Amino acid sequence: MNSSMINAMVSMNGMQRKLDVLADNIANVNTVGYKRKEASFEDLLTNMKQQEQAFDQPTRLTPLGFNQGWGSRLTLVQPDLSQGPIQPTDNVYDIAIQGDALFQIQTPAGNRAYTRSGSFKMGMDAAGVPMLTTAEGYPVIAQLPNGEEGPVRVPDGYTLRVSANGQIEGVAGDGVTAVPLGRMSLVQVMKPGVLTPVADNLFVVADGLEPEAAVRAVVPNDTNRISLMQGYLEQSNVNLTDETTELMIVQRAYQMSARALTSSDTMMGLANNLRG
Amino acid sequence: MLRGLYTAAAGMVTQQRRHDTVTNNISNLNTPGFKQVNAIARSFPEMLIELTGLGEEHNKRLGAVNTGVFAEESLSIHLQGDLSATDRASDFAIISDIDVPGMTFDASGKYVDANGQVTFQPQIFFTLQDRNGETRYTRDGKFTLNNEGFLVTGDGSFVLGADNNPIQFDPNIAIDQLILGANHQFIDSVTGLETGEQLLLTRIENPNQLVREGNSKFQLVGEGNVTRPVNAQDRFEVRQGYVERSNVDPSQSMIDIMAALRAYEANQKVVQYYDRSLEKAVNEVGRV
Repeated sequence: MNSSMINAMVSMNGMQRKLDVLADNIANVNTVGYKRKEASFEDLLTNMKQQEQAFDQPTRLTPLGFNQGWGSRLTLVQPDLSQGPIQPTDNVYDIAIQGDALFQIQTPAGNRAYTRSGSFKMGMDAAGVPMLTTAEGYPVIAQLPNGEEGPVRVPDGYTLRVSANGQIEGVAGDGVTAVPLGRMSLVQVMKPGVLTPVADNLFVVADGLEPEAAVRAVVPNDTNRISLMQGYLEQSNVNLTDETTELMIVQRAYQMSARALTSSDTMMGLANNLRG
Repeated sequence: MLRGLYTAAAGMVTQQRRHDTVTNNISNLNTPGFKQVNAIARSFPEMLIELTGLGEEHNKRLGAVNTGVFAEESLSIHLQGDLSATDRASDFAIISDIDVPGMTFDASGKYVDANGQVTFQPQIFFTLQDRNGETRYTRDGKFTLNNEGFLVTGDGSFVLGADNNPIQFDPNIAIDQLILGANHQFIDSVTGLETGEQLLLTRIENPNQLVREGNSKFQLVGEGNVTRPVNAQDRFEVRQGYVERSNVDPSQSMIDIMAALRAYEANQKVVQYYDRSLEKAVNEVGRV
């Protein structure tokens, strides 16, 4: 097989994967708290056809050897955690984060996951006790008043109140009596590269790594410019203009690689027809 | 055997190499920091043809002939690529236009003096250390922090600092809080203090001495005093939040690939014509 063909095939594979990433972003242009994924390309391993010393002519510009590249591949797929626009919803269970932080969620397997999607609801645990959960029913983790970490349980007849610094209170029907329920436990991502997006708009720390290596706990305050907004939702940070532009660039590159593939196919045809 | 048959076959092989090279350029249209490669063809050494067989006194020189062509060099064109804004704190792009006293470089980055001596414009590169501890160079400034706080490239090579050691930050530092300040020092934007890490940028006098290795890395092969860390006089800039795009020209590549294909086809036709001549020689010349 001629190397143009392998080259074009490998690169079209990589570009296809980039198109998949872009399609995923575009599909989630209206997903609450969605963070766009981005990816980059890298050229593939190059090999060198050795040349003898006699090739070292005075007019030669480069060191001996003829370089051959083998296309490009997709690399550095990671989430872009920049802020998305914030929209008012007037729902007490909708909480948006402004600044660099993520909510902590407990998955059914007992692991920690992280999300920017603050579209919560009152769910129930296995025993039927109401608690604050994500839309899928995973409990939202908070620092409870007794110092432990656990799900937020709002007493019967009380409504939820979350202040900008993350304090959670249950407010009684009279609107005055409040009981402290703890503080939202938020984390900040230090290395977006080790966060893996999983289903249900959640992120987890890549396998084999301790969560402490990638995220650290953070308390909203004025200096770190993190605040919570109750009654608001953070929209997706996908910018359709950027994604479409990128889509066009990659699609055209894909098209050109396909042309190169056709062209190398024609060459093989010519070689086959050498003998008429 | 007819001499030209091998010449045409060599032409086919050479055009195949050209085609491979252009395909690779097209494949890397979106690879940050990629530099276009041109395959340079060279004719086989000349040989003299002499008329013989008519007796010593009638021997005469007919002239010189080249009996083929081969792809001699794959030359990377180290011209500046366009910058594109990504707004990511971990993306860096180099813009360089190095001045050499007494030389004005043309649009293709070379200077030819009165004696025909060609000098290529020096270029600036990020300095890396690959997994085997070898020094490599790249223009692809898409870096990331690994879990130990090292600044690494997409394939895990370490980015070297000015002290020739891999750049490593406090593992508690987030990439977004690092700002590239004056003199390519990293500043922690939360504390406002210098982190003590500084990018090592290398000036390579003749970028043609670099051999492409894959994964956007180059290896320096030439010997002698051909690299040095940058100094304040070098005219270049490193921008954070940008990447340098590939400098491959798509329209030129499309034309080159068509030209290579057609030249291949022309050579194929020549092989067929020779084959037909041979057919005549074999089947018709001897017929009675």
